[in-house]
Amino acid sequence: MNNKKYLQGATILGVVIALSFSQSCKKSFLDTASSNGSVKSTQFWKTQADATSAVNAMYADLHNWNDIAFAPIAIESMGSDDVTKGSVPTDATFMNEYHNFSVTSGEGQLDGFWSGMYANINFANQILDNVPKISMDASLKARYLAEAKFIRAYDYFRLVRAFGNIVLRVHVPTSASQYNLPQVPAAQVWTQIEADLTDAANVLPTTYAPADIGHVTKGAALALHAKVALYQKKWSDVVNYTNQVTSLGIYSLFPNYEKMFRTQNKNNSESIFEIQNMLIPNNPAASNSQYSQVQMPRVTEAAGGWGFNDPSPNLIAAFEAGDPRLKGTVIYTGQTTPEGDMIDASAPNPYYNMKSYVPFAEYVSGFNQGCQQDKIVLRYADVLLMNAEANNELGNAAPALADLELIRARARGGNNAILPQITTTDQAALRTAIQHERRVELGMEFERHFDVIRWGLGTQIFGPQGFVAGKSELWPIPQNEIDLSGGLLKQNPGYN
Amino acid sequence: MKRIFTISGLVLLCFLFTQPVFAQSATVKGKVTDAANNESLIGVSVLVKGTTNGTQTDVNGNFTLNAPSNAILVFSYIGYSNQEVPVNGQSTINVKLNASASELQQVVVIGYGTQKKIDNTGAVSVVKGSEVAKQASVNVVSALQGKVAGVEIINNGQPGASPTINIRGLGTVFGNTSPLFVVDGVWYNDISFLNPSDIESISILKDASSTAIYGIKAANGVVLITTKRGKSGKPTIDYNAYVGWQSVTNQVKMANGTEYATAINELYSQNGIVPAFSDNPAAYGNGTDWYGQILRNAFVTNHQISLNGGTDKYTYNYSFGYLDQNGTIKTNNYQRYTGHASGDWKAAKNLKFGYTFSLLSSGSDDIDGSIYHQLYTAAPIVPVYYNTGKYGDPADYSIGGGANYNPQATIDFFQQHSKTHDITGNVYGQYTIIKDLVFKTSLGGQLSQEEVRHYTPVYDATAGQQSNTSTLDLNHTENRNWIWENTLTYDKTIGKNHITGLLGEGAQSNENDFADATAKNVPFDKSGNLHTSFPAGTNVTYLKATGPGSPNFVNRENYWLGRVNYAYADRYLLNASLRYDGASEFYPAQTYGWFPSIGAGWVITNEDFMKDQHVFSTLKLRGSYGRVGNANVTQVPAVQLVTTDPGQYTAVFGNPQAPAPGASINTIAVATTWEQAQSTDFGIEGSILNDHLSFEAGYYDRLTLNAIFPSPILGSIGESGPNGGLLTNQATVQNKGFEFTVSWKQQVNKDFYFSVSPNLSINNNKVTKVISGDIPLYGGGNGITNGALATRTIVGQPIGEFYGYKVTGIYQTAQQVANGAASGIGPNQPGDFIYQDTNGDGVITSKDRVNLGNPNAKYYYGANTYFKYKDFDLELDFQGRADVSIYNANLAYRFGNENFTQDFYQNRWHGAGTSNTYPSVNLGSTYDSAPNSFYVTSGAYFRLRNAQLGYTLPQSITGKWGIRSLRVYANAQDAINIFGYKGFSPEVGGGPTGMGIDANVYPLYATYNFGVNVTF
Repeated sequence: MNNKKYLQGATILGVVIALSFSQSCKKSFLDTASSNGSVKSTQFWKTQADATSAVNAMYADLHNWNDIAFAPIAIESMGSDDVTKGSVPTDATFMNEYHNFSVTSGEGQLDGFWSGMYANINFANQILDNVPKISMDASLKARYLAEAKFIRAYDYFRLVRAFGNIVLRVHVPTSASQYNLPQVPAAQVWTQIEADLTDAANVLPTTYAPADIGHVTKGAALALHAKVALYQKKWSDVVNYTNQVTSLGIYSLFPNYEKMFRTQNKNNSESIFEIQNMLIPNNPAASNSQYSQVQMPRVTEAAGGWGFNDPSPNLIAAFEAGDPRLKGTVIYTGQTTPEGDMIDASAPNPYYNMKSYVPFAEYVSGFNQGCQQDKIVLRYADVLLMNAEANNELGNAAPALADLELIRARARGGNNAILPQITTTDQAALRTAIQHERRVELGMEFERHFDVIRWGLGTQIFGPQGFVAGKSELWPIPQNEIDLSGGLLKQNPGYN
Repeated sequence: MKRIFTISGLVLLCFLFTQPVFAQSATVKGKVTDAANNESLIGVSVLVKGTTNGTQTDVNGNFTLNAPSNAILVFSYIGYSNQEVPVNGQSTINVKLNASASELQQVVVIGYGTQKKIDNTGAVSVVKGSEVAKQASVNVVSALQGKVAGVEIINNGQPGASPTINIRGLGTVFGNTSPLFVVDGVWYNDISFLNPSDIESISILKDASSTAIYGIKAANGVVLITTKRGKSGKPTIDYNAYVGWQSVTNQVKMANGTEYATAINELYSQNGIVPAFSDNPAAYGNGTDWYGQILRNAFVTNHQISLNGGTDKYTYNYSFGYLDQNGTIKTNNYQRYTGHASGDWKAAKNLKFGYTFSLLSSGSDDIDGSIYHQLYTAAPIVPVYYNTGKYGDPADYSIGGGANYNPQATIDFFQQHSKTHDITGNVYGQYTIIKDLVFKTSLGGQLSQEEVRHYTPVYDATAGQQSNTSTLDLNHTENRNWIWENTLTYDKTIGKNHITGLLGEGAQSNENDFADATAKNVPFDKSGNLHTSFPAGTNVTYLKATGPGSPNFVNRENYWLGRVNYAYADRYLLNASLRYDGASEFYPAQTYGWFPSIGAGWVITNEDFMKDQHVFSTLKLRGSYGRVGNANVTQVPAVQLVTTDPGQYTAVFGNPQAPAPGASINTIAVATTWEQAQSTDFGIEGSILNDHLSFEAGYYDRLTLNAIFPSPILGSIGESGPNGGLLTNQATVQNKGFEFTVSWKQQVNKDFYFSVSPNLSINNNKVTKVISGDIPLYGGGNGITNGALATRTIVGQPIGEFYGYKVTGIYQTAQQVANGAASGIGPNQPGDFIYQDTNGDGVITSKDRVNLGNPNAKYYYGANTYFKYKDFDLELDFQGRADVSIYNANLAYRFGNENFTQDFYQNRWHGAGTSNTYPSVNLGSTYDSAPNSFYVTSGAYFRLRNAQLGYTLPQSITGKWGIRSLRVYANAQDAINIFGYKGFSPEVGGGPTGMGIDANVYPLYATYNFGVNVTF
């Protein structure tokens, strides 16, 4: 009897032990990372599809908040005589600190811009570090790597002109010791940018099949390289790269200046590099560009936006009499847009940015206002103006004047009573004319702040706003970043 | 097969004849009372010695039992000494039970078993289910507030949210900081599905030696809940119900119309702009009281009926509950149906089976979560409606920017319904292999589904509140958990030696699934699932994100455990346990961990030399040490995953344009090992003065080693890591403190009884090591502090200490501003704060920031009192905390023309000499909104947590109605709150490095109920 009981006990014990072992031996029982649809990163970077997904994510990041909305407005637009903060006086008053050059290192948009750019760089670095190992179509692989180099160059360009000496990261960190890197001199960053753009231009196609439009092209790499040279005053390089863009033979000035920026004319003949945005049905989260939303007129219509980054009276005054580009640049409160939207006179600001405007009829509730608006980063008119500027600096007035006339002729729209041809061959006078043309042609396109500074006119033009020579040429390195680096990062001159 | 049938038949018979007949027995009746006060004792177990034949006393202490005339009856009751009485042919046996030497004789539920409290060497607190059920709280955890020393409960006020519960301070800083809940052997992270009325008892395991047996997720303590089970005897029907209402209390007053217009004019002047309301602000009068418009006294009703009974072979408990609770926001409603069933069946002498099931079905009409902030900011100059019947529109007053909503329109057009179905429970089998050796297997699980159906109609209320298309958005969450555990328990007394051994193993899995579907321009449909709710042909987008941070995950664990408890003569106690855990969260590198514990105790009063003293009835010293793990990190940080969040990674290409989905991986993932809590615990327990006064004092020192949390990382790395930062073992955190509980209980005379039980907890939280060395971890940004980081975690200081500028006054004049330290943090002007130039360099920069306060409460306390006079009973529970700081982030969280609190308005600076403490209305500026000492205030409070007055109708009356007991009562919860905080509630929770930052604007409310308890 007793034996039988012990036998029962032993049996059950045996079962328990067996169960324990069966569970422990099946190691996969605890390997749940890839359950419920998740894929382990060790399974990534294996196929061409993975490379494509990574490239898509890199492009998607170009239209996130820090890359396209508030941070760029603060860093790349607000510090100029062309704009005012906009919106209601009490909203986002920190924008004024950029306008007045009183911003200090703790201001949040500095962090936003800094980390936004580096996040995008990280996408590019991931591709550059990992795609080479993938077995896939060789020409597509080469193209993807070239696209990543372009994007990395674009981000570093935006960073170096804003902050000067920055952290240069060209590989994904693989250990904690690689997290905290010191700054490198700006010159080293410029060198890296040029190397990347040279590589990119050698590989990128001139055009794409319809389904791939929006990927960066050879023309984009050349045009950006021209601008990078422009900032370094490498005038013959500017001429060289801009001429190469022209000789691709695919770019031309879009006939209607105002319509060039409307959604029906995306990726038009003048556009060289354009951030692609779209209202994706049923998916407001993915339709996340707020580029237009933050700048659209602050009117009571639901289609209205927040009304930031408005044209200043100063900019308006800079337009020559009758210049049609004014109406392509400025929305007047109390007037009707060419697309037929009445901008109610009760709106808090007199002017709004026309270039980010999306007609009210295109608005769909539940989506960011204007989420379908692309942002043109580089266009052919800019290339012509860079060519003109560089040629003039090299003493070649004739090609500069030809460029100017192309730009002005398009603006004239056949009305010869306005915008007379520029004929001066005096280098200084022509420089002034080119600077003027650049201001009005590219008004509200996030160029003015850096143009004025690179022309050395900061004190002269921005002085009344608060520009301090020797300091305001660069924005401060974000304080959070200095704190997190344990003081490894050094602040720019003139900032605490 | 035949045998099973026989057994079932027997059970059926037992069911039919609740009074089984035994040969040569006679009916014995009697009443069991408390020897001290003659009160009837309910639920006393009465057993024929050496058999399983027994019953329990009813609500009046009466029992009826068939017993052989030569039998011995054993009376046992928790908290009382057992008594054995020979029947000797008597038909009536009245028994007076003596309260056991003290509460220390109680049997407490511990991990995988029970133990006499006197034999326990850890820190375990017990709360009776009846104490919890008495309260008006819908959530069990909330009802524990103030009841137990060492247990801090923070109700953050968000409707429907589970409260934060911290046992012995904050040790975990990432993932779930709450303790592990074990309900009838099944593990949960949240127990909001439980109806408080279904709870029998709650054991709170506070020290590592008690919790180590739950190794894996027990670093923050364990709450063991036993739900009600059947008691053999005649069926008892209980009906408990209340009706009542919630009403807002301690309401923060906002500026009225005139005050608002005045303040906004000042704000415009401060910013150099022509005032918006150049007309006379007085014309706006009081304006709209938005809180009055949107809030209400919210009706609540709750009903619970239960059936309890059984035979000596089979016992059962069934209950059904219904709750209908309106929210204090007018359109908010929550309805809950709960069911609970448990049964235990003695299939054979050595075989027992049982089950427990809890069911929950709830539905709610939801509110837009932003309504609270809208109410806080809404402009009082905007009417609810115009005379035309149209909604008052802030756009018509040119005050967009912060105050652009009409809250009435928000609630009117917000259509969201949520449904939850939850079934959870377990089945067990228990087999006594040989005498003293019991095998138990328990299989439990949970299946819950939640559906949220949100519909935006086409509407046009105000400029900012309209939609030109309709949208139906549906999301579905499913949770599937199972747990299977097997234990062998050996329990033996040899002479004065009592030994209990436990061996066990188990495995469990938690799986979460989330999917979302959206379509435009479809009609609203209240029924159907994710795929059938949309009309055929609708363009529906289904989304299911994967990767880190996505709500789709599976966690699994398996483990082995063992424990030995040894007691010699109830005098010398030794307990030791060991557990070996594997958790998928730490796969692959550090999957397994060992978690040991040891405890020892000395019951001094059981020593011979104490026999002649009369001071102490009981006196015990105990000490323990243990190490526990914490796998509550929700995801697998050590394994990098591909993220496919469509909201982040969708590119656009082509002509025509088309979305192109992307994917990304994070490189920031570091091999992460177990977060461990290592605690040392000492305690003294005892009772004096004839057991009138019992006391317990404890000291603990809990180190959380390898605490896991995401620290902010350099933006230049280019990624934030899968959890918003570098998620790894970052720090060592120490919580050290004392707990005191004293309880006085006395039957003063025949009619009057009272008990008073205050408790106090003192906790010191300190970070003792941070991986980043001297580099502090900044936190507490979360938007509301305008992006600036308001907390700092650094070695030697508490977790998440407030950090910022010290305000020394207000600039009164431009001259003073010019003479003051230069601002390195944005422009300043008269009316702005004067910050302390800590380093004296003449410029205010981030280097001038100082510690501003500790959001971890140093003291929290409760006092629970009970008075009974004749048929009246009164319960008063007090509770509060002290020496704690909170950060009022709402004040400076401004985008433009938000309203101000009346307190701020009345005290604001508005010209030289008007205030040297409050700034001007421009406090939303970068300079003024930088984290500073003005926003840090005391979070201390004291409240009357619960007040209940009851009256039990005399049995002489209710007996005639066939009712065994009838009690009516009135209850008030949170009726009196005393605090100095100028915001809504000083009870502020939040994530570890953002704790105590009040970004909530949830009005505090009191609950008033009238109820009835009936037993048939």
